[in-house]
Amino acid sequence: MAYITDYQYYENGGLNPEDENWGSYQYVSLNDIVNNFIVMYVGNDKLINNVERYNILFHAKRAVQELNYDSLKEIKILELQVCDTLRFVLPPDYVNWVRISMYKNGTLFPLTENIQTNWSNAYLQDNNCRILFDQDGNILKPENSTLDIDRITGSKKSIYLNQQSAYNGQEGYFYNGIWYFEYPVGARYGLNTETANANPTFKINKKGGVINFSSDVSGELIVLEYVSDGMENGDDSEISVNKLFEEFIYSYMKYVILSSKYGIQEYIINRSRKEKSALLRNAKLRLSNIHPGRLLMNLRGQNKWIK
Amino acid sequence: MASIINTVRATVLSIANKNNYGYITPNDFNLYAKQAQLDIFEDYFYQYNSWIVKQNARVSGSNYANIVKSLVEVIDSFSSTKGLINTGINLFDLPDDYYLIDKVNYYPNITTTGTITFGSIGTTLIDSAANFLGLVGGSIPVKPGMLITNTSAGGLYSGASAFVVSVDSNTQLTISSNDFLTGSFGDTSYTILNTKGITEVERVSQNKIFYLNSTPLTSPGLLFPAYVLGGANNINTGNTITVYPESIVNAGTVVSQYIRYPKDPNWTYATLAAGEPLFDESAADYQDFELPLSDQVNIINKILQYAGMSIREVTLTQFGQVQDQLDDKQQS
Repeated sequence: MAYITDYQYYENGGLNPEDENWGSYQYVSLNDIVNNFIVMYVGNDKLINNVERYNILFHAKRAVQELNYDSLKEIKILELQVCDTLRFVLPPDYVNWVRISMYKNGTLFPLTENIQTNWSNAYLQDNNCRILFDQDGNILKPENSTLDIDRITGSKKSIYLNQQSAYNGQEGYFYNGIWYFEYPVGARYGLNTETANANPTFKINKKGGVINFSSDVSGELIVLEYVSDGMENGDDSEISVNKLFEEFIYSYMKYVILSSKYGIQEYIINRSRKEKSALLRNAKLRLSNIHPGRLLMNLRGQNKWIK
Repeated sequence: MASIINTVRATVLSIANKNNYGYITPNDFNLYAKQAQLDIFEDYFYQYNSWIVKQNARVSGSNYANIVKSLVEVIDSFSSTKGLINTGINLFDLPDDYYLIDKVNYYPNITTTGTITFGSIGTTLIDSAANFLGLVGGSIPVKPGMLITNTSAGGLYSGASAFVVSVDSNTQLTISSNDFLTGSFGDTSYTILNTKGITEVERVSQNKIFYLNSTPLTSPGLLFPAYVLGGANNINTGNTITVYPESIVNAGTVVSQYIRYPKDPNWTYATLAAGEPLFDESAADYQDFELPLSDQVNIINKILQYAGMSIREVTLTQFGQVQDQLDDKQQS
């Protein structure tokens, strides 16, 4: 992106939206990446020549996608209310989730992904459990499986220690300093920490494009933190990447183009592969913002006794 | 630059004309001259490639020994820029005189369009309905440096391009080229383009465009457009290009930079009563060689070969060939 004046930066030159350029200096655009690469790395006297721009563009976009999945930490956040369907439709640019929280009483409660499933597809069956088909030979399916219906109606029990727990509200007897219960507790010698969480749970139906929640989420606000692939809904002019990764992207593109070209010596490919990996490490370190002041704050708690 | 065509003709006649046997008529000379020029012109591109290989092998020097640089200079002297004319869709006609399309650029930002009106001449462009200063609300003012393309289909200067030198008034511009306006400029339409946001339209092969359009990562967009080269359409006999995305349809917004063929050399003359044609440089159809003076020897050698064949003088042809080979050997 071209350099802009302070007035353009802070107030977008008097145009709307005012915040158009805020923070833009952190990023380098896809257009700049492709142009810079063609200028600096492609030519008759360079390692790469006779390469089409669409080839370069493809690898540039792939690099941006790969970085967006983890290294860049470009987290998008979306808040939606979950109604009685207990369903949160995934955003259109969703690739993977980072954290899902419930916003209640002014506090964000991080939710746990259910280790079991809480949703299922189902087929219609007759009394003999034979699957039913329509006249075209396709399987007949109900709108919701029993599992889903029970979850939505709140009758499905949970192994988590929340409101749907099978033991929630059950009475017991305290005799001679010991609790007794009238339901099987088996060999429960301790707490299963994996399921010892009072918050609601969720499970993601990836193909279905929804997050299914346990029944105690109905009417609550859910905050989804997720990563996208940085493709900005296909608008190439909006695609950008943090400048800390600019050099890595060039070396990544150089490597993948060289490694897919015929007749390139293996030592050249290896050199570019090592360069790419080293630059990725550098960029990750830079982005992690590990600096003395921050470390100091963490280390101050090292001698604190936790009782 | 001083005319070299007359020197070439005089030298050719001097070598070939033995006992008045080898006289070459001006008409024949012009034919041979065209052949020779085209031959040498095309050879520049092969030489360029050959010297690139040598440069990469580090057998080519820099500064005065930079052969590639001097070859590029000659090739670039045939560079031309023209707006491409379309027929309302994303199909654009290529210029008639192109040898090699180097680049096709897309100018996404149109400042204004209009039609030239009476009073325009040379580099002065008048459009009585224009609003070049942007005085009418909502219109964008024209500024010096903007590109203007002649978007009239057909005509001598169809597709011609120039830059805005100054905005003289709300209806008058001064532009950088006088190869823009024809005498009958009544129907000449133009487009003025902002030079910001220009993007190159990439050439892709016919067998790739389907796959490129099918995948979201590579499908041509306004930022990274593409074109495929096509054949003649039902209107024009020259080559055409189809530009993607299909929304690029505005006349004048697609501009090509290409290497054109050299103009046909034409040794013009005024016939004297004695019969000997006298060179006439002022004739309207006069055209000198467009190759540099350093190619004069090559041109003469080539013409001698053709002339030798014409007058059945084998020694003349052989002389031309030997000279040609010696020259090639020296340059390689």
